[in-house]
Amino acid sequence: MSDLDLASPAATTPSERRVALLALAWQAALPIALVVLLLGFAAVDSAVLTPGNLVNIMQQASYLALFAMAQTVVILTRGFDLALGPTVSMVSVGAALAMAVGVADGQEPGTVLLMGLAAGFALGAACGVFNGVVIAYLGVSPFVATLGSYNIAIGVATTISSGRPVQGVPDLFSWLLYGGNLFGVPAAIVITVIVGVALHLVLTRTVYGRALYIIGTNPRAATVAGLPVKRLLVATYVLCSTLAALGALMMTARTGSGEPNLGGSLSLQAIAAAVVGGTSLAGGRGGVGTAVVGALFVTILSNGMNLTRIDGYVQMVVLGAIVIAGVVLDRLRLERRG
Amino acid sequence: MNAHASSLTARPGIAASYGRSLLGSIGFLPALLIAVVIGMSAVDPQFYGPINIINILRNTALLTIVACGQALVIIGGGFDLSVGAVVALASVVTAKTMGLIAASFPGNDALVITGGLAAGLGSGAAVGLINGLCVARLKVSGFVVTLGTMSATAGVALMITSGIPVYGMPQSFVRDFGRVQFFGLPTAIYVALIVLAVMVFVQRRTLFGRYVYAIGGNTDAAIVSGVGIRRHLVGTYVLSGVLAALTGILLTAQVGSGQASFGGDRMMLQSIAAAVIGGVSLRGGVGRVEIVAISALFLTILGNALNLLHIDSRLQPVFLGVIMVAAVALDELGRRRKQRV
Repeated sequence: MSDLDLASPAATTPSERRVALLALAWQAALPIALVVLLLGFAAVDSAVLTPGNLVNIMQQASYLALFAMAQTVVILTRGFDLALGPTVSMVSVGAALAMAVGVADGQEPGTVLLMGLAAGFALGAACGVFNGVVIAYLGVSPFVATLGSYNIAIGVATTISSGRPVQGVPDLFSWLLYGGNLFGVPAAIVITVIVGVALHLVLTRTVYGRALYIIGTNPRAATVAGLPVKRLLVATYVLCSTLAALGALMMTARTGSGEPNLGGSLSLQAIAAAVVGGTSLAGGRGGVGTAVVGALFVTILSNGMNLTRIDGYVQMVVLGAIVIAGVVLDRLRLERRG
Repeated sequence: MNAHASSLTARPGIAASYGRSLLGSIGFLPALLIAVVIGMSAVDPQFYGPINIINILRNTALLTIVACGQALVIIGGGFDLSVGAVVALASVVTAKTMGLIAASFPGNDALVITGGLAAGLGSGAAVGLINGLCVARLKVSGFVVTLGTMSATAGVALMITSGIPVYGMPQSFVRDFGRVQFFGLPTAIYVALIVLAVMVFVQRRTLFGRYVYAIGGNTDAAIVSGVGIRRHLVGTYVLSGVLAALTGILLTAQVGSGQASFGGDRMMLQSIAAAVIGGVSLRGGVGRVEIVAISALFLTILGNALNLLHIDSRLQPVFLGVIMVAAVALDELGRRRKQRV
């Protein structure tokens, strides 16, 4: 990460300082592009910059940011999770079913809420354990392993829900994860900020977090250095799926029902957001910051295009081009830095 | 990464190691395939009915063509997520072009069909060219580039059609090409066999094919040996785009209309699954298209069998997922055991 480069005492000669400044400029390029984008859309339609729409953008982005963070932790280790979208669907349906059972049993609202949360996180963690064990212990590539669990999770989600939305999500659940607010800030934003800060601390300040960067940068060195790479990988996939489960529960609270195709194309969207933000698929580079910036960028872009009434099909083309432009810029940034 | 494989083949006892590597490259896939075929034939006579067999073969043919291109890209060390979208784009472009030419030159079917085919294949080649240039020139990972072009290509296909099927192709294209049968088999099967034969030849006997293995196996070594990396990488992506477009055209001819809903994520994921189960290593440098074709057949028969067994269509993905992971995991474990020997 470049803030480390800047902080390093080696950057003292003029040329090194110039490189560091350049790196900083690249780092700031995307946030600046974000502001320009917002102002550009605002020039076309003033509704873009209203406080209501800004909160709306933040709220929309908070889900994608969570999923992008989930992808980022595994991308750091040179993996990715194609099963994230289906995991979201499965967790949504599973949690809704558990709560429906609780309600039918006549349980207390608090107990029902706990049942829903427990079922959701358990399903998410189970997905993570499956992915992690298959990848770390069976040596299957992340692509195939998560493509496998992609199919499995879709099958489970549609089977347990019979392919229909699961009704009966209690109000308390919806209030806690969607309707409520803290000092006027919607719950989704509050949760994402808390999780983001916590994850940032884990990635930058803990042995576990630093180990992820080592595994991604040089897996062999990580093994030689005595890191328990396999166990760390399993833990990371569990972390990824658990974050996805949290996002799924939040989205379920928003829709008020368990949806068997809630995840849709989220897997690739989340990878795209992370990559646009500057997370490197080669591993070892990225973090909470890149995930959040990427998610904000993608959300603002699609929000702005919606408000300026750009055709949905054209939006797909634009998003595709942005993804490619994002990695090309990232590549150039890397080459500049040498 | 492929140091293990090369040190293995460099050992003495060439005949023995050849036998082992043959077993390793084919694996247990044919055995599994035969088991499924025998089992299904015993359980349900419908399975070996001519209609079902033709159905299986046609679907296998379509998947094989896409998977051949995908396999080549993966052998070169890349990924092509855009193939599903290219199938859709080529279908739409072919149908639209044929409709346009037919409107200006009514009755001139030869011109209409040639123009449509050229446009369709051209659209696939164009997407492949963009993929290849981004990967080779800008050195961006194939996964992300094709993720981007996948979205963009699907968007363009939908823009062209607004999501509505495109009609107006000449009758002769649909009747005499798409739905005609030679010796009881649909055209798609012959096309797939030709593609497969050409691909086997390309992989084994041409410099391009050998260089793709070299690049995927060890890029640095290939560069040092003087292989023009860029050209060959671009070539793999263009070929993959063209083959995906060919599948789109075959689907269009069979159905009789151009549709932006053809292909999609499902076709893309299946093509990668077929390649990987067929022994193509995602690390690059390893894999043979004829085994990929067997694996495409296996995947198609598996889906067909699950249907015939009346297994809930919602549960079917679970089986596919488990079998896919199991196949690759067994393969990986087998390779590790061999390394220990």
